[in-house]
Amino acid sequence: MTEDAPAIFQALEASNFAATIRQSVWLYPFANVGHIVALVCFAGAIAVMDLRLIGALAATAPAKVIGRARRVVIVALCALAATGFLLFSAEASHVIMNPVFLTKMSLVAAGIVNVTIYEFGAKRAVMALPPGAAMPQVARVAGFVSLGIWIVVAGLGRTIAYF
Amino acid sequence: MKRSLVLLAGALALAAPAAAHHGWGSYDAARPVTVTGPITTSKYENPHATITVKGADKTWTVTLAPTSRMMTRGALAQLVAVGKTVSAYGYPSTVEKDEMRAERITVDGKTVEMR
Repeated sequence: MTEDAPAIFQALEASNFAATIRQSVWLYPFANVGHIVALVCFAGAIAVMDLRLIGALAATAPAKVIGRARRVVIVALCALAATGFLLFSAEASHVIMNPVFLTKMSLVAAGIVNVTIYEFGAKRAVMALPPGAAMPQVARVAGFVSLGIWIVVAGLGRTIAYF
Repeated sequence: MKRSLVLLAGALALAAPAAAHHGWGSYDAARPVTVTGPITTSKYENPHATITVKGADKTWTVTLAPTSRMMTRGALAQLVAVGKTVSAYGYPSTVEKDEMRAERITVDGKTVEMR
């Protein structure tokens, strides 16, 4: 326990819930492996979405490719959040002070802002496009930014334990 | 091309010390210490078991291994329970005061590797 951490995170780490995660033989490893499996699904699906936005996979209409990948992305993101919360809770007061974790969370927020801007700004136009049509500039930028953000997020996630 | 190679070499040189320790990066392997004394607190928990040991000079927080690894190697919770006398060989933290990560521990004449 680190006393430098805000009280809410000390309380989370001290909770029965967090103690159960730490003391169970399988719960922490389950969350650890589950987080990686969810990440693999998330990374694959979001790469398909981003590449389509950039202009790859152009033989299929964007609505088809992006719509299917989007479902996987949403489920995988929920799984990432759930398993991530288990991992975080076990060591909340330490992890919240970890600069790599904070950078990662800022980028996750940036990734969600990016997709929100796309969803409200360009999605309607993109979804109406036929196969092979040129992608609007906004969509291409959103795709590039997303791809970059999530690759860095994955790298930072792996790095948290080393700081 | 030449410049990118220089940059790559620089990046590798920076990365090398961290990779060499693989999770032991914040511990000073050049200054190994052996702490011997009674265990005063014991947390047999994930992601790493942790004990505090009343050494000759001060009380050390000793970070051990994940519990599943310790079980596999026969270091069950009762081996590192409060009151046991332990000898821990490991490396002091470069971040946390009075904390070390054990390479191996000896309790009741039994030595268990933690890495």
